[in-house]
Amino acid sequence: MNKKIRAIGAGILVVLWVVLTGFMWFGPRQDVSASERRPLDQMPDITLESILGGSFMGEFEDFTLDQFPLRDAFRTLKSLYTYGVMQQKDNNGIYIVDGYAAKLDAKLNETSINYALKIFNNIYQQNLEGTNVSLYMAVVPDKGYYLAEQNGYPAMDYEALFTKMEEGMSWATPIDLTGALDVTDYYYTDTHWRQEKILDAAAVLCEAMGVTPPKAENYTPTLMDKPFYGVYYGQAALPMDAEELYIMKSRVLDACKVYNHETKRYQRIYDMQKLFGSDPYDVFLSGAQALLTIENPKATSDKELIVFRDSFGSSMTPLLVENYKKVTVVDLRYISSALLSQYIQFTNQDVLFMYSTLILNSSGAMK
Amino acid sequence: MLFSSIPFLYYFLPAVVLCYFLVPRALKNTVLLLFSLVFYAWGEPKYVFLMIATIALFYGCGLAIGKAQKQSWKKFWLIVSVVVGLGFLGIFKYADFFVTSFNAATGLSVPLLRLALPVGISFYTFQSLSYTIDVYRGDVPVQRNPISFGAYVTLFPQLIAGPIVRYIDVARELDSRTHSWDEIAQGLRRFIIGLAKKVLIADQFALVMKMFRETDAPSVLFYWIYATAFMLNIYFDFSGYSDMAIGLGRVFGFHFIENFNYPYTSKSVTEFWRRWHMSLGSWFRDYVYIPMGGNRVKKSRWVLNILTVWMLTGMWHGAAWNFIVWGLMFAVLLLLEKWVPALQKLPTILRRGYVLLAVCISFVLFNAEDFAQAGGDLMGMFGFAGVPLVTQQTLYYLGSFAILFVLGFVGCTPVVKNLGNRVYKTKVGAILEPIVLIALLLLCTAFLVDGSFSPFLYFRF
Repeated sequence: MNKKIRAIGAGILVVLWVVLTGFMWFGPRQDVSASERRPLDQMPDITLESILGGSFMGEFEDFTLDQFPLRDAFRTLKSLYTYGVMQQKDNNGIYIVDGYAAKLDAKLNETSINYALKIFNNIYQQNLEGTNVSLYMAVVPDKGYYLAEQNGYPAMDYEALFTKMEEGMSWATPIDLTGALDVTDYYYTDTHWRQEKILDAAAVLCEAMGVTPPKAENYTPTLMDKPFYGVYYGQAALPMDAEELYIMKSRVLDACKVYNHETKRYQRIYDMQKLFGSDPYDVFLSGAQALLTIENPKATSDKELIVFRDSFGSSMTPLLVENYKKVTVVDLRYISSALLSQYIQFTNQDVLFMYSTLILNSSGAMK
Repeated sequence: MLFSSIPFLYYFLPAVVLCYFLVPRALKNTVLLLFSLVFYAWGEPKYVFLMIATIALFYGCGLAIGKAQKQSWKKFWLIVSVVVGLGFLGIFKYADFFVTSFNAATGLSVPLLRLALPVGISFYTFQSLSYTIDVYRGDVPVQRNPISFGAYVTLFPQLIAGPIVRYIDVARELDSRTHSWDEIAQGLRRFIIGLAKKVLIADQFALVMKMFRETDAPSVLFYWIYATAFMLNIYFDFSGYSDMAIGLGRVFGFHFIENFNYPYTSKSVTEFWRRWHMSLGSWFRDYVYIPMGGNRVKKSRWVLNILTVWMLTGMWHGAAWNFIVWGLMFAVLLLLEKWVPALQKLPTILRRGYVLLAVCISFVLFNAEDFAQAGGDLMGMFGFAGVPLVTQQTLYYLGSFAILFVLGFVGCTPVVKNLGNRVYKTKVGAILEPIVLIALLLLCTAFLVDGSFSPFLYFRF
């Protein structure tokens, strides 16, 4: 009897194997992984050269991994097993505390920080030194600053990073944002902070730069009609709820025009088309853009601001616009610092270097 | 190609099984040979020609030995197969090691060959040697069918990471073997268990080791966690591969020898080597140690025999001095056990502890990139690296991988097997078995789909 049961069981196993194989061989192919925000590998071309050189084999393996049937479900199964059964505290370096997903990033990458400082100092020496600009720097703490150490996860030495940045940019006035933020100011599933929650941090920046802080009553948090799944959602591969994405609307921001130097076109502060792209967070200043100029016709002064920023700056910069007639937004990952003088005349502006710990600790993309 | 990869599990294996069972009996070895060559070429396209040359060499020498009337000619063809076979191994695996050592000793700058190591060359060379030696000794008949002999040398289940299947052990099955649903089911069961050992356990210990190497907050405890993780990693990796090989063999009607028998439960180093990589140990015993006289010689010669065999064992694992020292370390321990019988009278717990400590230290040496790293790791383990006893990061990883370590420790003992055997005989066991196997297959697939490239450790040998 047992032998018969075993034979049937083995038969079921083989059938399952055959079904998965059948789907792998003949199933439909996907173009994009929405959860991971990336294109999926397709079947590579078979050529004699690629086979003899061995590149076909590697590409074929990538293709099979990307196109495996029920791929996201399998990734979720792995995550659930890792967290639930093996009780591991992170999966693929992503950990979750009170619903907040964050990345383990305990190693202070001195080389990366020195590289970022080298770029900032080059900009200072070539464009800013001897001018009458006012210089500020702010380091944006990532979520781990509020989550890691307090919950027993390996934590980066944030204080060392802050100190190193302040000492390395002694020509700029440091602005401490850590006291104006807490973990609830960040998305559950994303690296970024929530725009509707960072008015306090914007106020700290404005006060330090000697301009009027933004007032909550001037802004209307507006819910976007698009569920938001952050970057950690895909990496954690766990069933997490969609989040609400708000943008802060105001009369001033409605009146602003944004000139994109790459496309040579005007756009709006909030790019609603981006809500339907791979990363809805790109709604803020159209996401990754090399050089933007925000023109504010309702400015209360003729002052100008230049912001060197990463993606955290996309949602923060609109909250700083109110006091400035013109705000230039630079992302050094997409424009070389050597080209700045072609686009910007540095004179009598406030200049803010605002970068997150995530980018400073992994600054290889800066130019 | 890795067994623990999606291309193998869901392309290669279904294709080879389908073709194998569709073709008539006379063509089954041809199917195995062709698919095995594809399997090998997948990772090393250019070295397929070396593989074919190896087959031709040993097949030809086997025929010549069988045909020769005089003993001297038999010996000649045996020597040809040994010299040329080991010559291939020497050129591809050891040439640069010898040149580097020579350059270091003489100050000369003899250029290196810089040849990539053909995957599994140590395994298939030793398997092929067993054929011509056994034919020479008259222990097995000559294999006259080149397809069957080619299938033996290239047989993909054990081609690149063992067990070292001697020709004598599969000679009969090469020409005449039976297949049954029961055997296939048993084979798949063994294969999935091996796959789970590799993917769900060994690869996770590899992750612990990676964390250790990447940490900027090492501690004494972390060094020990690393050393323990590697002990468990290499055991589950290699024994998992052997399980998969044995399981696949059964699917195709072969019965390969066992390669592991709970080595970490040994009470002496001598016993450890009777339980660890058994196919390699018995190969060296039968083809090197005993022909050198074994222990039936003068004491000094016996010591020399032991040192030679263990130096060669070390060298077999890798062309580097740390492997040679690793092998010689075991030679010293084996001699010590022979000369100090009192060791065998110690309480069992002390004997097991001594074996685990010795093996742990040996594997730190084994896994190091060079002596400097090995020295650093050993200094760290014993508190001479100037690092704290414990750091927050160490505790984090210890906590995070605690269940994995418990699984690893338990899995190294016969506890799971004994429990499984007890349940296996019951009706509940019969129902549970396929459920567990399906769950393991799906979990392994999930890890592979989510994970990255993770080669088997023994591929490099």
